[in-house]
Amino acid sequence: MNDPITNTNHTSLVLEVEGLNVYYGAFQAVRNVSFNVRPGEIFGLLGPNGAGKTSTLSAVEGLLKPHSGTIRVAGYSTREQPLYARASMGVQLQATSFQPELTVSEIIRLYAGIYGVSLSKERIDGILSNIKLLDAANKRYGQLSGGQQQRVSLLIATIHEPRLLLMDEPTTGLDPQSRRQLWERIEAMREKGHGILLTTHSMEEAESVCDRIAIIDHGTIIAIDTPQALIDTNRGNPEVIRASRKGKITLEDVFIGLTGTEIRS
Amino acid sequence: MSTTTLPSTYTVFSHLLRADLTTQWRNRRASLLVVLVPTIILISWKGLVPKFGGAFVLSNCITVGLTAIGLMGYSNTVARDRDKGIFQRLRVAPASNWTIMASRLTVQLMMIVITTLVLFLVGYKFDGITISAGGYFGGLLIAIVGGAVYLSLGQVIVGLIKNPETVNVTTRLVYFAFIMIGMFGELGVLGKEVGDAVKWSPYGTVKHIVSAALTPSTWNEHSWMALLVTLGYTFVFAFLGIKWFRWNSR
Repeated sequence: MNDPITNTNHTSLVLEVEGLNVYYGAFQAVRNVSFNVRPGEIFGLLGPNGAGKTSTLSAVEGLLKPHSGTIRVAGYSTREQPLYARASMGVQLQATSFQPELTVSEIIRLYAGIYGVSLSKERIDGILSNIKLLDAANKRYGQLSGGQQQRVSLLIATIHEPRLLLMDEPTTGLDPQSRRQLWERIEAMREKGHGILLTTHSMEEAESVCDRIAIIDHGTIIAIDTPQALIDTNRGNPEVIRASRKGKITLEDVFIGLTGTEIRS
Repeated sequence: MSTTTLPSTYTVFSHLLRADLTTQWRNRRASLLVVLVPTIILISWKGLVPKFGGAFVLSNCITVGLTAIGLMGYSNTVARDRDKGIFQRLRVAPASNWTIMASRLTVQLMMIVITTLVLFLVGYKFDGITISAGGYFGGLLIAIVGGAVYLSLGQVIVGLIKNPETVNVTTRLVYFAFIMIGMFGELGVLGKEVGDAVKWSPYGTVKHIVSAALTPSTWNEHSWMALLVTLGYTFVFAFLGIKWFRWNSR
């Protein structure tokens, strides 16, 4: 084991992003983005396609190097202590996978090893039983259904009880039962004090589960608050009223009112 | 205030290596083909042993095996894992980039050792090629050095090309070209100029040092020069391959 590093930041925030700027060549994908995630909070990052959500998440995960700005995960700087920052977060990404030749048990053992978590066979069986995957323990990852793969992915993201959980469109492609089960697990994690940062295109889901929401467009955060406060603040906005179809203002109306109706590629 | 403990580098590496070895084992049909091609050439070249010598035949077949491991084994698995996001998944965990790649390379080095030992055995059993203990030991060591050229060339290919299908096609073409031009050029079938060019190509230098290592008494100034050129190729290919490599295929 490496020596434990105690972070120097005394704040209880699980994620602090300050003045983040990300460039791809001359194109600026993220512009001076700042937000934070508290323990026991589900924070939604919403935006149209190409708004800068994935770039922001990638910078937090350490997959791309920001041009400027600071990111701290559980107090650890992603620039100065990247491995400690990564060890403090769990990540469930859409465009990632595990080796299809490995079985579910082997994947669990691999990632438990990387995170330094020691798990007995009984403990692994217990975890798999909990997510209804005990029968699939010796099945190869490539042979699992989409819903089963999603459950494995969430299990790996949380195997080390991270303080911060990042989820990129976690419910995409799931049937209603799997989606319901996933939200129950996410809410259970919130109750245990984990901070959760997620992106989603489902405004209904964001409105019902997120404690706070940031709406990002053209790389800039244009609104950040609780779902109800976002609705209340923008109730009188003519663009939001125009977007409203049912008479009652919803988060989707606010989102469309603030980001426009044009389809992004 | 929070405290986070990281596992040791050894722990992370050993878990990665175990997973990569399991993956390699489950893809054993592809691994078998990598060993099979030089083995078939070795058996079919039995008639050349009296004319050119055992070391010549064996070193050609070992070089073919090394080419297949570096170009097809390594680059194809890296291209596939990059495209599927397997690397990105590992990189968001506390595993440093070099441990991820070191584990992959270790598996390929093991493949080099296995292929070379199989060829030693087949050469002895079927072609009657006998070499001194020092020759076997030197040949094995130099095969690892020579294999590094092809691993780094494979790295250049996955650095330049992102699409896994294109990587697959390119590596097969390069492999075919190396074998055909290398083997037949060495035999003089393609003319003197090609023969001279092949001598200092990655195929020719690796083939030469393996051959000289198998019969240590023949190791001479040319062998030292070939070793130096081999190391030079490895350094240049590795430098370019690492510089151009992107972890994400998108």
